[in-house]
Amino acid sequence: MAANKRIMKELAEINNNPLQGCTIKLAKEDDLNNWDVTMDGPPESPYAGGKFNIQIVLPKEYPFKPPVLTFKTKIYHPNVTNDDKGAMCLGMLRADEWKPPNKIVDVLKLVRAVLAAPQPDDAVEAGIANEFKTDRKAFDKTAQDWVKKYAK
Amino acid sequence: MASQHQQAHHFNPQWYFYQPPGQVYHDPVYAPVDYRVQQVAPQQQTPTHQHQAFVTAAGFTALRPQQQRLPVRTRQQTRHARATMASEGQQHAGPSEDEMAEMQKLSNEYEPEVKGPLVGQRQSTNNLTTEYASADPVYQAKTTNLPQKYSHYRTVRGDGSCGWRAIAFGYFETLINLGDGNKFLEEEARLRSLMNTCTAAGYDPSLLEDFAEETYTLLRKVANGMQDGTAENALHETFNDDYVQNFIITHIRTLTAAWMKTHSQDYIPWVVGGSSIDQYCEQSVTPVSSELEHLSLNALKDVLLSPAGITLEVLYLDRSHGKEVNMHRFSPVNHGGYDIGYIRLLYRPLVMNDSFLSRSADISNRGHYDILYMPSDLPPVPVPAAVPTYLQYASQPYHEPVYDLGLPDFMTTIPGMSYANPHQAWVGSSYADSDFFGSSAPVQQCPQPIPAPAVPAPQPQMQAAPVYVPAATAHLVPPPTQMPEELVIRTVPQANVSSHQGFAPQSTGPFRPSTWQLEADMSQHTPLQTAIFRK
Repeated sequence: MAANKRIMKELAEINNNPLQGCTIKLAKEDDLNNWDVTMDGPPESPYAGGKFNIQIVLPKEYPFKPPVLTFKTKIYHPNVTNDDKGAMCLGMLRADEWKPPNKIVDVLKLVRAVLAAPQPDDAVEAGIANEFKTDRKAFDKTAQDWVKKYAK
Repeated sequence: MASQHQQAHHFNPQWYFYQPPGQVYHDPVYAPVDYRVQQVAPQQQTPTHQHQAFVTAAGFTALRPQQQRLPVRTRQQTRHARATMASEGQQHAGPSEDEMAEMQKLSNEYEPEVKGPLVGQRQSTNNLTTEYASADPVYQAKTTNLPQKYSHYRTVRGDGSCGWRAIAFGYFETLINLGDGNKFLEEEARLRSLMNTCTAAGYDPSLLEDFAEETYTLLRKVANGMQDGTAENALHETFNDDYVQNFIITHIRTLTAAWMKTHSQDYIPWVVGGSSIDQYCEQSVTPVSSELEHLSLNALKDVLLSPAGITLEVLYLDRSHGKEVNMHRFSPVNHGGYDIGYIRLLYRPLVMNDSFLSRSADISNRGHYDILYMPSDLPPVPVPAAVPTYLQYASQPYHEPVYDLGLPDFMTTIPGMSYANPHQAWVGSSYADSDFFGSSAPVQQCPQPIPAPAVPAPQPQMQAAPVYVPAATAHLVPPPTQMPEELVIRTVPQANVSSHQGFAPQSTGPFRPSTWQLEADMSQHTPLQTAIFRK
C-alpha cells in the first residue's frame, strides 16, 4: 500500500544519507513498521558515550498518525518516562500536532536535540525535571551514572 | 488565535435552553435519539428518573434539565407536561446541585463519537428541516426555509477535517458537473505547478509527491469516469476510502500552508495573537486534525478554488436574527472573473455546549461543514429507460415533483423519476420549491385521479391524483413562461410559515400519514393549488 511506499522511501533515503550518530535497521526484515535505532548520546551532554536503543513503531495509519517512540535503553531524562516503557512524547510526536509531511528522520533529529537539551517544561518525569532545573550537577551525575550502568 | 476567545466553562442550563438538538454534535443520527427522549419525558415524573433516563437513553444529548428542554417542543406537549406535573404536585424546579455537578462531570468526560460516512450521499434538505423540527424557532425558521433554495445536502464526517474534506470533495464535484475533460488536465497541470510553491515554502517535494499523486490520480480517474457516467461514484468511493482521502486532504492542507507562507503579506493581518504565518500554519493548517478556520478557508479558496473559477459560498446556520441562513460568498472575480461552478457549504458553529468547551481551547473556531446544493448544482442525470413500475405512494416520504414542472409527457410517465430533466433553466428556477412542498399532496383539490398511460394499474388511492394533474397543466404552459408564476408562488409558503407560529398540527386530509403531523408547517403549502386554479 501507499504507506509502505512512503516508509520504503524514507528508509532508502535514510540509508543513503545516514543521520549522524544513528544506525537504523528494521527490527524484523519483513516488517517495515518496526524500526530499530541505535543513537549515540550527543557529545557534550551527560549522555555522551552512551548508546541508546530506540524502538520506533509506525502505526498502520502512518503517516497520518505519529510514530511511537520508546527508549529500550534506560535513560535518566526529564522527557522520557522512567519505567520499562521508556516512552517519549514530545512536540511533533503528539497526535494532535503531528503533520503527515514530517519524516522519521525529523523525529530522530528532534530526539537528538532533546537529548542534548532536555525540555524540563514539557517533562513527563517531574522529579527529574525539577532536579534538572534546580540542581544541574546532581542531574548530570545521575544521568552519567545511568549511561555507564545501562547504555554501554 | 484561540486564547482570546477562550471561554470559561461552567454548567449553565441557559446554554442548553438555546440549543437545538442537532447542534449538540452535528450528526443527524442524534436527532432521532433526542427526539425519542423527548417523547419519553412526560412519563418520567421524578427529576431523578428524568435525569437517569436522559443519561442512559441519549448519552450526552440528554444532559439537559427537562425544564429547559421542554420549551423547544411543541407548546401542546409543554402544556401537557406541565399539567401532568402540577397535578401530581411535583415541584417545578430544575435539578439539584448534586445532579448539576454530576451532569457537569458527565459532560466533561464526554468524548464526541465520530460517526457516519466520511462523505455521505446527497439527500434532500427536508431531512435537515426534520432534524431541527424540535429546535428553537430561529433554527426552525431557517431550516424550514432552507429547502426552498437549497434542495439537497451531503453530510461530511465531523472529525476535524470536515471543512477541508467538504471543499476537496466539492472541488472535484464541480469539475465533474462542468463536464469538460480538458479542465481536469488543466487542473492537474496547475496543481503540479503549485509544487514549486511548496518547495519555495520549504516543504520537501519528494514527500509531497506521495500526497499529491492521489489527487492527480483521482482527477484522472474522475475524468475517465465522465465518459461512462461513473465519475460521481468514483469520487464518492474515493472520499470514503479513509486512507486515500487522507492523502488528498494532506495535499490540500500543504498547498494551503505553502500558499500562505509564500503570500504571507495577504494573510498576516488576520493572524491574531502575534503569531507568524509559519506558526499559524504549523498550528492550524497542517496538523492532521486541525479544523478549517476562517483564515485557512480563505487561503484554501485562494489556492484551490479561485484559480479554477469556482465560487465558494458558506451558509451560516446559527442563532442570528432572520428567517434564512446567512450566506457569505467567496467569489473568484479577482482571478479573471470566469466562473465554472459553485461549492456551497452549510456551516454550523458549535454553540456553547457541554462537551467541547472543556476540552478545546479553540472553541471559537469549532464548527461543522456539510455540503449544500442548489438545484442548479445537481448533475444532469441521464434519462433511464422507462421501466413500468408500480407507484408506492403510501411508503414514499415525499414525491419528487418532476410532474409539476412542465416536463415533456414521456418524462411524466416514468414513476418516481427525479431531477431527470437535463434542461438547467427550469431546474434552477423552481425545482427546489416544488421538491419541498410538492410532498404535501393536496388531496381535496383533486378528487379525480388521472392515470398516466404507461403506468400499469396505479393503485386507486386518492394520493395518486395530484401527481398527474399538473402534468396535464404543463402542456398548456411552456417552461420558460412558467418561471415568473413560479416565483410568485414561492412567496406563499413563507407567508404561511410566519402566520402559523404555533405550529399546531393540522390535518388536511384523511389519508395523511401520521408522521406528517409533526411537520405541521409542511401541510399548509400547496403549490399545486395555483396551477390547478390557473387551469
